[in-house]
Amino acid sequence: MTLLDLTHIAKSYGRTAALADASIDILPGEVHALMGENGAGKSTFIKVLAGIVKSDRGEIRFQGKLATIDNPQDAFDLGFRFIHQELNVVPQISVAENIAIGGPYPTRFGAMVNWRELNRRARAALARLGIDTIDPRTKISRLSAGDQMLVKIAGTLSDTGNPACLFVMDEPTASLTGEESERLFKVIAELKSAGASVLYVSHRMDEVMQICDRVTVFRDGRFVETKRTNDTDKDEIIRFMTGRDVKDVYPERTFDLEEHLVCRAQDVSTRRIRGLSFNLRKGEVLGIGGLSNAGQSEVMQALMGLDRILEGTLKISGKAAPQNPATAWEGGIAYVPRERRREGLMLTRSILQNTVLPHLRHLSRLLGVVNRRSERDMTQRVADIVRLKADSLKQPCYQLSGGNQQKVVFARAVGASLNLLLLDEPTRGVDVGAKFDIYTLVRELSARGCGVVLTSSDLPELLGMCDRILIMQDGRQTEIVETRDLDPHGLLSRFYAA
Amino acid sequence: MGLILRRYGTLLGFLAIIVFFWSQLPETFLTARNLINISQQISMLAVVAFTMTIVMVMNDFDLSVGSTASLAGVVAAFLFSLGYPVWAGISVALLVGLLGGLFNGILVSFFGILPFVATLGTLTMFSGTAFLISGGKTIFGRDIPGTFSGFARSGVPLDGIGLAGVTMPFLSIMAVIVLFLVWFALEQTTFGRRLYAIGGNMEAAKLAGIRVRTLRMSAFALTGLGAATAGLMYASRVASANPTQGSGLMLDAIAAVFLGMTMSEEGEPRVLATLVGVLILGILDNGLTQLSVDSYIREILVGAIVVSAVAFSSISKQKR
Ligand SMILES: Nc1ncnc2c1ncn2[C@@H]1O[C@H](COP(=O)(O)OP(=O)(O)OP(=O)(O)O)[C@@H](O)[C@H]1O
Ligand SMILES: [Mg+2]
Repeated sequence: MTLLDLTHIAKSYGRTAALADASIDILPGEVHALMGENGAGKSTFIKVLAGIVKSDRGEIRFQGKLATIDNPQDAFDLGFRFIHQELNVVPQISVAENIAIGGPYPTRFGAMVNWRELNRRARAALARLGIDTIDPRTKISRLSAGDQMLVKIAGTLSDTGNPACLFVMDEPTASLTGEESERLFKVIAELKSAGASVLYVSHRMDEVMQICDRVTVFRDGRFVETKRTNDTDKDEIIRFMTGRDVKDVYPERTFDLEEHLVCRAQDVSTRRIRGLSFNLRKGEVLGIGGLSNAGQSEVMQALMGLDRILEGTLKISGKAAPQNPATAWEGGIAYVPRERRREGLMLTRSILQNTVLPHLRHLSRLLGVVNRRSERDMTQRVADIVRLKADSLKQPCYQLSGGNQQKVVFARAVGASLNLLLLDEPTRGVDVGAKFDIYTLVRELSARGCGVVLTSSDLPELLGMCDRILIMQDGRQTEIVETRDLDPHGLLSRFYAA
Repeated sequence: MGLILRRYGTLLGFLAIIVFFWSQLPETFLTARNLINISQQISMLAVVAFTMTIVMVMNDFDLSVGSTASLAGVVAAFLFSLGYPVWAGISVALLVGLLGGLFNGILVSFFGILPFVATLGTLTMFSGTAFLISGGKTIFGRDIPGTFSGFARSGVPLDGIGLAGVTMPFLSIMAVIVLFLVWFALEQTTFGRRLYAIGGNMEAAKLAGIRVRTLRMSAFALTGLGAATAGLMYASRVASANPTQGSGLMLDAIAAVFLGMTMSEEGEPRVLATLVGVLILGILDNGLTQLSVDSYIREILVGAIVVSAVAFSSISKQKR
């Protein structure tokens, strides 16, 4: 008997149908992947199951019986646990409280919070993920996005007295590193052998093939196909998702690098990184690799003028490094920050407003009057390049799917002519097809002489796109390696090398 | 239907208020004379509210506008009483407003003090300074030059457009000019775009190359300048200056911006919407006075209307 059936679910926002006719059946003890392009309706579907979004049509059966899920409590009572795509932590409170927040707090004398017990439970939950480096008492806003995601995952694992039968994870690995993902997969295997089911959303083909028993594909809010992963392959799944053939490969560099340098760093130190030395040639793609929080983002911040340079010299396009992001953009340096919702987007503002923001200087006439036509032209042009899925350019960004929000941040960066492009996890949450488009665009830009600095927790991406990889360890540069004869395992061992 | 109510609820309420007073006061309410009278009554509040919109676009506040207005009036009157010419008094008063605003901006953007706290502090500072300069007394009578107080009493005659005997007061024209300037800056220029970006997500705006500190500072300076302008208009209108005469402006200005915010889809301030907010407050005041409603009851009513408009719009927003 199936654990859960959702059939013919539909949900529209105004005239847009986020879900048109979506169905899935989940068996007890299976890991079931849900796949689809950005905006296919996966997250909306999950929110329906979680009681956050009310569907217009369709029914939900739990163990064969009709179930109504009107609010998150109903879903919790049925034994469903959720990790949503958008991190929803309460930033002001501790890690332990964020873990406990769904259920009742342990108490003493029936009234006072038993902090010791609360922290113990949190520590136990984190330990299941193999984590002993996060203190449950720290304020969660002080953790990196990856660590916050781990806390969120631990929260669903924490023992609440009400046994869970289904874990739903919406792109949990998008902000995790390789080893963190591996640990999550181990936990998923444990959950599975304990008889629980997992509904798993991801754009990473390899991990889906590795950990999932079956896969269901949605396209444009409709059910397309459910298959056993053993009976299908990546190409077929991509065809189900996109309706076309997309290559799941990295486009090759087709030109020789010039000798001119875009960027030259000599022994650069900031408050958070030390000993950064590299030369970046025109058209070159330099990766920044390392374990989680080894200083990858901090390198970007130094190049962007966000951190003062305490020692060493940093020159970009022959000039001194920018003092702040404003001068950086003016000097043709563009930046895709790591966390799209916090650092990238004005969520309540339109796609257009978000896209033109760093380019306003080029889009104005006398007295700073904005030229609306050029604004529209620029936005349309870059939105087409990244195949943005949206109703109109006036749509506010919070209405976009996660991957499409990421595309807006990327599209913005390539709006103007560039000398240096800084990409901090640029394809996080982006679907296979759009990833390929982004890679192609990066190659085109570098063919025109733009230097690129790229970080990614996806090692194949790092190896596929970069000419060389600069390795960071605890905020210090250890070495720069050529990617030519390196595979993911080889690269990973360099991250650990002392 | 729900969407229309959410979008236009405040506007419909505004129309309802007009229709109500019209039916209660058929003779006097919708006459050219009364409307022009209203426009003059609200002109000072309007100037403060329009320039308050500039900082509220960035999710900031300025609580010190009322005391800035008082201070500007007192400074000008004090200089007049010392025999300085009108232009000098006005320029110094405006400069004081600009510098006061700049000071707010520095506290907020360079020292990172919450606008609420920073401008609450400067509110008392400016107010204290106004008391100090004026000695706590009202400056009036012969100290105020006729050219200064005459400004508020005169205007452009509207005989040409068939309204014999009616003049459009200079104060109302001032408010329209300020409205146009603020509208132009906020809606048409990159300056406005950047301020809205700061309100949308300050961190993201900074990383996208927006000079957040400088912009916040200049926005506060403009709000201070607007408050000083309103203070001078007020002093001209009553031909006197005292250290508390602007104090009613701050709450009304913020209320007007909030009323306006209920009209936009994402709840951001727009200066034309602020105008509607100002008109609602002004018309209520005018109509209720004509109906000789007790002024305490008037305050209760105005407060209730602001709260219910904002509550209504936030409830309908939650329901999506
Ligand atoms: N509040 C909303 N208002 C309008 N449209 C919305 C809203 N929420 C979602 N949508 C639309 O519904 C569609 C499905 O979005 P959803 O977030 O479910 O996609 P997804 O499959 O999770 O994509 P991704 O892989 O990018 O996370 C998108 O086209 C999105 O624009
Ligand atoms: Mg999603």
